[in-house]
Amino acid sequence: MLSQIAFYLFGSISIICGLGVVSASNPIYVVLWLLGALIAISGIFFSAGAELLGALQLMVYVVAIAVFYILIITAVPWRKLHKNEQHNRLIGVAVLPFVAILYVEAFIVALSGVSLSKNKIIETITKNYGNASTIGIKLFSTYFWAFELMSVLLLISMIGAILLGRKEEKTYD
Amino acid sequence: MSIVALGIIIAIKVVVILAIILGIGAYLTLVERKVAAHIQRRPGPMVVGWHGLLQPLADGIKLLTKEDILPSSANFLLYNLAIVMALVPASLVFAVVPFGPEIHVFGYDIKPILTDVNIGIIMAFAFGSLAVYGVALSGWASNSKYALIGALRKAGIIISYEVVITFAALGPIMLAKSLSTYDIVMAQIHQKVWYIFLQPISFVVFVFALLAETGRVPFDIQEAEAELVTGFTVEYGGMKFGLFPLVEWYVEVLSLSSILTVLYLGGWSPINIPFVGFVDPFFFLGPWSGFIWFIIKVTILFLLVLWLHWTLPRYRIDQITTIAWKVMLPLALFNILITAFIAPLLRG
Repeated sequence: MLSQIAFYLFGSISIICGLGVVSASNPIYVVLWLLGALIAISGIFFSAGAELLGALQLMVYVVAIAVFYILIITAVPWRKLHKNEQHNRLIGVAVLPFVAILYVEAFIVALSGVSLSKNKIIETITKNYGNASTIGIKLFSTYFWAFELMSVLLLISMIGAILLGRKEEKTYD
Repeated sequence: MSIVALGIIIAIKVVVILAIILGIGAYLTLVERKVAAHIQRRPGPMVVGWHGLLQPLADGIKLLTKEDILPSSANFLLYNLAIVMALVPASLVFAVVPFGPEIHVFGYDIKPILTDVNIGIIMAFAFGSLAVYGVALSGWASNSKYALIGALRKAGIIISYEVVITFAALGPIMLAKSLSTYDIVMAQIHQKVWYIFLQPISFVVFVFALLAETGRVPFDIQEAEAELVTGFTVEYGGMKFGLFPLVEWYVEVLSLSSILTVLYLGGWSPINIPFVGFVDPFFFLGPWSGFIWFIIKVTILFLLVLWLHWTLPRYRIDQITTIAWKVMLPLALFNILITAFIAPLLRG
């Protein structure tokens, strides 16, 4: 009962904030709406009993990633950045069908009752070992290959970022 | 326990924690001024009350009765929202701080911690670093170059040291095999050792990160008085100006000191002789001695921070980030490597 109320509360907050993200014109308000949406999503994780995911959502997305947006947007001449003066609205309209397809897919999956673990394996592990251990076990057994692949991808992108950001005397001789 | 009783207990906990933190936060201004004065061989505030004991009240009245000024072409909403966004996350950290052992009051077993979530320590760091938005927004919304430069510096420092502080804290977490703040303290009591004895490197790194995150000297470049005239707070006046240092210098220092006490100094446990046991001079207080010990440890840490603040010069901004990424982060990672070998040897 209580968790359902919490879910609907955070769900509606995240939807409202999501609408704010796409409708606000001042870029700094956009980031603030995004912040609200991300925090509400972490609230959904908490109400679903996935505390670790919720906390990581807070730490990684809300703090580490969104702060870079704030950092960059506060540092650029923002008066020139009003969305109204931009001409990429067409793209927003063009991606709408694809977003709609994604939503239809999610709806079909939810209706057909596909679940992550049919025999409630994950639920038993969570009960016996707690939240963090469950994610650890799943990550290093079932999804090990994907996990390692992601790590390598992140390493590559990190090296790329360092290469791009490196300041060096250019010598063309 | 019925849901009504649970609700009442939680409400009492919230009120007590908020009252204590904000009240102590206000009075720590006096402590800071006194300590600073005696470090510089002067008496400090002496006029208002005995040895200036009523000075925080006088300061509060002065700040509250000042005119409320909004800078021209500042953003009214964000200018005020920044204060809330600085204050709320800093006080939310205390939701996961265990202040003492489980006590028995009016027929209920009460843990003196607001929410004993099983990932408490991650929550503490997440809330602690949410405070960066208050600073960043205040810098942007006040439409001033000084404020903006200060806010950008602060954001840079927080981004660097948030990584460092998390990796430093991984050491004690690995030893305690738990992410819950309550369980980390219990693990130290069961293993009969404060983790400062097993994790000296990570302790030092954590203290550095504490100073950096709270904007204390030697990391106070974002509000450097000489060049930035107090940085991101420059356009604020009255109590709005008073709240930023209150949050940054007192509430955040208190919260991070509490986390440090939990991680490295055994929380509420008495004096520790490593691997032998605990010596408690306050044994006659029963379970309440735990609270005394927690307060003593946090006080000592706070005085350490003050001592450093009023004796050291400050780093340049590039030196701060260089230390974070090239010295502190490798040290923290090295510590994790060592801990991975130590952790299985500990029983419990």
